[in-house]
Amino acid sequence: MILIHCPYCDEKRPEIEFVNAGQAHISRPLDPSSQTDEEWEAYLFIRANPRGRHHERWRHVYGCGRFFNAVRDTVTDKFETTYKAGEPRR
Amino acid sequence: MSDVLIRNEPVPETQYVAAGVTISLAGPMQRYALRARRAEDLETVFQVTMPRKIGASEGGIACLGPDEWYLRTEAGATIPTASGLPVAITDISDRSICLVLEGPRAAEILMSGCPIDLDNFAIGRATRTIYETVEVIIIREAEDRFHVELWRSFAAWFWIAMTTAARH
Repeated sequence: MILIHCPYCDEKRPEIEFVNAGQAHISRPLDPSSQTDEEWEAYLFIRANPRGRHHERWRHVYGCGRFFNAVRDTVTDKFETTYKAGEPRR
Repeated sequence: MSDVLIRNEPVPETQYVAAGVTISLAGPMQRYALRARRAEDLETVFQVTMPRKIGASEGGIACLGPDEWYLRTEAGATIPTASGLPVAITDISDRSICLVLEGPRAAEILMSGCPIDLDNFAIGRATRTIYETVEVIIIREAEDRFHVELWRSFAAWFWIAMTTAARH
């Protein structure tokens, strides 16, 4: 079982308490109506799919309930670090 | 129409006794979900010190998240309202039931489906977690006594899972 460090609970908790919530650091355009179809498509659908280091959102759903960001290696499934939502990209 | 309201519980009201553990339904109580950005606002309302660390509990109030607390009081108690303050107090009394696991094997039986290490779970700690697929709140009341708060609709299944684990 993988243990994931929740930055809010400040402890390592079992993976089964968490859900992955997709790529991190994607912000919604402030003025959607000014977007071209291509820009809007990129915001909605186009995601990075790296081999290796990946920034992801996770949610401690069966715990404190909070979303946070994590850096995970997609090859080894090893979590490099986790940090609170709103903090700068690491 | 009957004048008497009958309370139907989803699990047997008689205690289940197995080697090293008893499982019983706790009596009715009132439960509240308390939400606030700042704990100080809830302290103003309730005139108590709110536990600040996630997982800590104090005086019947458990801190479940950075802005979320869980209050349990005896049935019939009144709690203050909070007009004018940026807090949310929601009565969720009948959403959950509480099962009490007591005995030297209580932790072992909960760990049959719960992934957290309850042997190293301090007395007084409270946390939301998962048992198999059911969201539960586990509160360690004493060395060999746990309260498990779970949603009423999952209770029948959970009772079977607990009593089966206790038999083995």
